[in-house]
Amino acid sequence: MTLRLRRHTFADDQPLMMAIVNRTPDSFFDKGATWAEDAAFERVGTVVEQGAEIVDIGGIKAAPGVEIPPAEEKARVVDFVARVREAFPDVVISVDTWRAEVGDAVCGAGADVLNDAWGGADPELVDVAAAHDAAIICTHTGGATPRTRPYRVEYDDVVRSAIEDTVAYAQRALDAGVAPESIVIDPAHDFGKNTFHSLEITRRLGEMVATGWPVLVSLSNKDFVGETLDLPVGERLLGTLAATSVCALAGARIYRVHQVPETRQSVDMVWSIAGRRRPARAIRGLQ
Amino acid sequence: MTRIALVPGCLALLPAYASLLDPVPELRAACAEAVAWLGEDVRIVAADQGRRVAEALLATRTGVAGDGGSSYLVVANGAATRSERAPGYLDERAFDFDRALAKSLIAPDPAALRAVDTDLSHALWADVATLAPLADLLDAAHLESVDYDDDPYGVQYWVLRWAS
Repeated sequence: MTLRLRRHTFADDQPLMMAIVNRTPDSFFDKGATWAEDAAFERVGTVVEQGAEIVDIGGIKAAPGVEIPPAEEKARVVDFVARVREAFPDVVISVDTWRAEVGDAVCGAGADVLNDAWGGADPELVDVAAAHDAAIICTHTGGATPRTRPYRVEYDDVVRSAIEDTVAYAQRALDAGVAPESIVIDPAHDFGKNTFHSLEITRRLGEMVATGWPVLVSLSNKDFVGETLDLPVGERLLGTLAATSVCALAGARIYRVHQVPETRQSVDMVWSIAGRRRPARAIRGLQ
Repeated sequence: MTRIALVPGCLALLPAYASLLDPVPELRAACAEAVAWLGEDVRIVAADQGRRVAEALLATRTGVAGDGGSSYLVVANGAATRSERAPGYLDERAFDFDRALAKSLIAPDPAALRAVDTDLSHALWADVATLAPLADLLDAAHLESVDYDDDPYGVQYWVLRWAS
């Protein structure tokens, strides 16, 4: 199905890069590098230049920490969204939030996508997406409370749980009036999952793709990569790209990433191996 | 009027081998112009692989008007040994070979085309199997235009038109 992210439409054979832009002082990868608004704005310019179709702006880190009330979250992201909207009319703006109140404000400022990393914790978020004709990302967290770490979480079948929960969430979004072409599902690696769960989700991603909903994967530099390779944050790019390649072969459509060019190259390569993309410029043996 | 066009059997011209960025845009444009000029009813003179290239070029034509004359699309090319990166690596003999062949084609000189050194053309990976039937077609023909004459990947390509 053609994917529509509010004003922006994409053919169903086009993989998309969603670049992470944190308006936080404490996110795990960039550690506040784009906390200052101008630094975040500069990051948007960089990733757009690098070819990212989507920027995912977040005002609260996923991990536990100081509580950020809605007013503070809005202060971090709403005006920033408006500034990005004005400067980059062609880029898709996603906002990483689980709160309907924040979602409403950012859509009013020009956001196209509500990326609910916390699996529908706020039931009114779907109504906000519908009211603004925005797209929504439906994630699986196994019912985790926002900003909590998994603790002894187990599943009979983590993939079945991810499919059931995200498809149910997608249905809830549909029922609320979100356009079917504007709903995306995300198994949410590491969220409500240990490393074994995230590896299995990666290995069996094709089952999620087979639901017919476009699949977003957020793999970038996460703990399941670090634990698998015993590497700290900052040394996880190669592992991230290996996981990215497996998800690309399965047909994931959107890649939420810190490193845009590296991920784009990996996905393009796999997309061509899968026969979904032509080589850039092939002449070897064809002269 | 009889119209005759020559194109190379470059497989990059086939839709099945299309890239995002065309590696042979000038060659493709020259071929398109030449095959459009041929008119509606075109006979192909080519071996099997070259025939696929010719058919692909003819299939992509638009707005072709015929004048009732006969037309021929011939597939052949020069040496594939014109650089170290060429399919057949560098063979210095390629330059004299192609220079002489170009002269015979452009003149045109049917007798010279019939006399092309088969062993040398084989050694230089040149695709010249159709030169004999081309020579027959060119007996009473004159050159209309040279649309392309280059070796972008170490293979000598020509796109030429004759009429008689």
